[in-house]
This record gives sequence, structure tokens and C-alpha cells, in this order.
Amino acid sequence: MQNKNWPGLFLLTASLCVPTVQAMGLRSFVALPVDKGGKVVRLQYQRNTSTNTDVLTGNAAYGISGKQTLLFGLPYRVSPAGSDRTGDLSALYRHIVWQDDTAEGTRRLGLLGGVVIPTDSDRDARLQAGAVATFYKGRTEWDIDALWIQGLDDTSNQARYDIAWQYRLSPAVYPDWGIEPEWALDLELGGRWDEGNTMVHQATVGLQSIHRQWVFEAGVVQDLNGPDDTRLIFSTRFHF
Amino acid sequence: MKRLLLTYSLLVLAWSNPLSAEQIEIDVHGMTCAFCVDSLQRNLGKLPDVESAEVSLKLKKVRIETVGDTVDIERIKQTVLDSGFTPVKISPLPDAK
Repeated sequence: MQNKNWPGLFLLTASLCVPTVQAMGLRSFVALPVDKGGKVVRLQYQRNTSTNTDVLTGNAAYGISGKQTLLFGLPYRVSPAGSDRTGDLSALYRHIVWQDDTAEGTRRLGLLGGVVIPTDSDRDARLQAGAVATFYKGRTEWDIDALWIQGLDDTSNQARYDIAWQYRLSPAVYPDWGIEPEWALDLELGGRWDEGNTMVHQATVGLQSIHRQWVFEAGVVQDLNGPDDTRLIFSTRFHF
Repeated sequence: MKRLLLTYSLLVLAWSNPLSAEQIEIDVHGMTCAFCVDSLQRNLGKLPDVESAEVSLKLKKVRIETVGDTVDIERIKQTVLDSGFTPVKISPLPDAK
């Protein structure tokens, strides 16, 4: 890859990494329930082994109420070096508009709206809107989300979707009382579209180590078409 | 319909009055993983009339040991709601001591 291409590549990558529409899967954030006054922070490292690009993304969530959450994300390109390393700041508001909690699990629907704020004067802002749905029963959870990102001025439009399936590997049966660490398998299908290009579909396979106040997760993301890139993801999130 | 109304009335009565008990159990719906419910346990533990709180993902319950022998049910109910879950039923427990 020529050096002159990497700023644009990073911008595209950064926009793809912005955790704007992400559920509780490896690549997701927005379906995570956050209690009122609660705060969740996630640090995610992603390495594109095809382009040798490393990006560190910081995410934060704050619970305004049991149904309202603010979600933020900011990527930073670790390598290659050079200018334009800081991506654009994503700010999303999530409102759970429907929730059906049962003894077996929960079903929820949330609406998303927000902006992408450029950190460079050469880039324009974007508006974003979408929805996220969660279905949880027994040991299985589905998180489905979609987001439209409207470019302003000369900025292109974007869109993305994610379908995440998580299955609790252990424990098979919870203890009667107390909170025990868990392991979960995560499989995802996602799509990323940038105006003027075809939708790139991606498959993700990952593992999550879930504890009371922190989660560590790792996985592999493979493009199913288009660039045919492979990415490794390592992330940790904790709440307080 | 009558049965539903009666059940609803009993629940409203239970929720609206302070409860006299040292241990209570709350049925909570919507609880999923460890990361999700830890905040509920901690938030309940911070309440002034709660000595300790323990969650059961298996039984879908929260067990609370109170400081005195009365507890503000409305505040507990709101704490569960603020944590993103649904409180369903509350039951005083026999004194374990």
C-alpha cells in the first residue's frame, strides 16, 4: 500500500470501527444494558492483518436511566504512524422503547440517534440513526442492529448492520446464589457500506470471558467479500 | 379477568406498603449475564436499609437482608427498574436466625 493511501484507509477503518451500532457481541456495544448512573468503558484493539493497520478504540457508556443510555466511541490508529491518527467521535443516544422481561430472559427494542463529530477540520460531521433489538432466552442471546449514517456537506453516507449470536458455554447451570464467571461463544455477521462501494459482509468468531465487573473478549473478523481482509480483535470492558 | 384484577391489586398493596421483615426475596425478570446483574446487586447493597443483597441468575431472584425490620419496598422496586430489569414479586422470608 502506498503511504498516501493510509490516511483515507484509516478514516474508512475508523468509521467502520466506531462502535455506533454494536450489541453485546464482540463488535457491539449498544445492546448492553447500563443501569441508571452506571458507566461502562471498553478498550478494543483491532489489527488488520491484511493491511498491517492497528487501531485502538475507546468506548464509553453512561446510563441516564434504566432505559436511556449515552454511548461514545473514538478510534485511534496506532500504526502506521503519520497524521490523521485520531478518528471521529461517535455520540449516540439509545432509548429502549419496548422491553418484555420474563423469567426465561428478555426481549428489547431500542432506537438510536446521534452524530459523528469530526476531529479534523478537513472532515465533515455525520448524523446517525438506527435501531437495536435483543432476544435472550436460556443460554442464547441474539443482538441485531442497523445504523444509517448520513453524511453532511460533501461527506459520503454509510450504513452498517450486525447480527450477533452468543451462547453461554459455561457454566451450564448457574449456582443457586452468587455471580459466577462465564464463558460465551460469539458468532456474528455484519455488513459495512460506504457510499460508492458495495456492502462488505463480515463474519466474526470470538470468545468472551465474562466476570462481574469486567469482560475480556477476543475474536477474528473475516471479510466475506470485497477487500477480503482479516482482523484480530482483543478488547476489555468494565463497568463501575 | 377477575383473577387478574385480584392479583394486580395484591401486588399493588404489597408494593405500596413498607414491609416488615429482615429478609426478603424479589423475583426479577430480565436478568441475563454476570456482567449485567452485578450493578443490580451493588445498587441494592447501597440502599440505606439494606445490609446485603445477593442475586441468583438461576432462580431469577434477589435476596435482601435488611438493616432493621422494615424496608422501603418502593425504593427497592425503583432500584431494580433503574438497573434495567423488572421486579415481579416480593416475598418476606422466615427469619433465618
